[in-house]
Amino acid sequence: MFCYEKMLEYPVKIKNPNPKYAQLIISQYGGPDGELGASLRYLTQRFSMPYAELKGLLTDIGTEELAHLEMIGTIVYQLTRNLSYDEIKKSGFDTYFVDHTTGVYPTAASGLPFTAASMQSTGDLIADLSENLAAEQKARVTYDNILRLVDDPDVRDPIKFLREREIVHFQRFGEGLRLATDRLNSKNFYAFNPCFDDNCPCNVAK
Amino acid sequence: MNKPKESALRKYQAAKFALIEMHLYLDTHPEDLAMLSAYKKYEAKCAVLKNEYEDMYGAIQWLDAPGVEWIKNPWPWDSEVCD
Repeated sequence: MFCYEKMLEYPVKIKNPNPKYAQLIISQYGGPDGELGASLRYLTQRFSMPYAELKGLLTDIGTEELAHLEMIGTIVYQLTRNLSYDEIKKSGFDTYFVDHTTGVYPTAASGLPFTAASMQSTGDLIADLSENLAAEQKARVTYDNILRLVDDPDVRDPIKFLREREIVHFQRFGEGLRLATDRLNSKNFYAFNPCFDDNCPCNVAK
Repeated sequence: MNKPKESALRKYQAAKFALIEMHLYLDTHPEDLAMLSAYKKYEAKCAVLKNEYEDMYGAIQWLDAPGVEWIKNPWPWDSEVCD
């Protein structure tokens, strides 16, 4: 189960609303490499993960991603306070506003609603961990792009924090993949489907 | 936002973040005893900072204080800039 703490993982305190920025940053809420997909990916992959370290890692990172989801929701919420109709129309936020007003909705910046099609749970630890390494890099790129487009230091500060977390998670998943491959049968050089087949080391260990 | 409250929360957030970071590291390095002892140190520090905050400003943890104390504003996403 999960226990809520009534605080953010890292502070978000934005003085100046900016609907254009909100429209970009919403992508890390419900976009293809966003925090919702990340938390769902890791918390879901846990069930078929054979090794204890990796069950721990997926649980911890998946849980931290929920805290990041809350931070992104907070950034979007604070960027869309007290907007005038004029600001909404001029900024281009009107295409979001017409469907959601200023409610926070899981969507990509391009308008595609959140979809589980952007994540995988294959039941194969090598495939899943490789996906997670890519996912952390893709999220880091999205944060890099947000930092290329956003000037406000109040917004950049928590975005930089989130970008750094992608780098740390990538590092930990890399260690996790190494732990996993070290335990495979040395004859299984290409590391395929080690979880499902009866003769695989992780099943033999059970 | 009132400064002492913000400062108390920031201290707790910082200590908690150190715990999160070490916890992750220990998943893939469970035998690292030096890190484990650092974790214990920060865990104690974190508990003190949490109590200091909660004594003054109310519960952080979900099940610690139900009702009036729990539901009171602000919530984490509420900007207190304009208060």
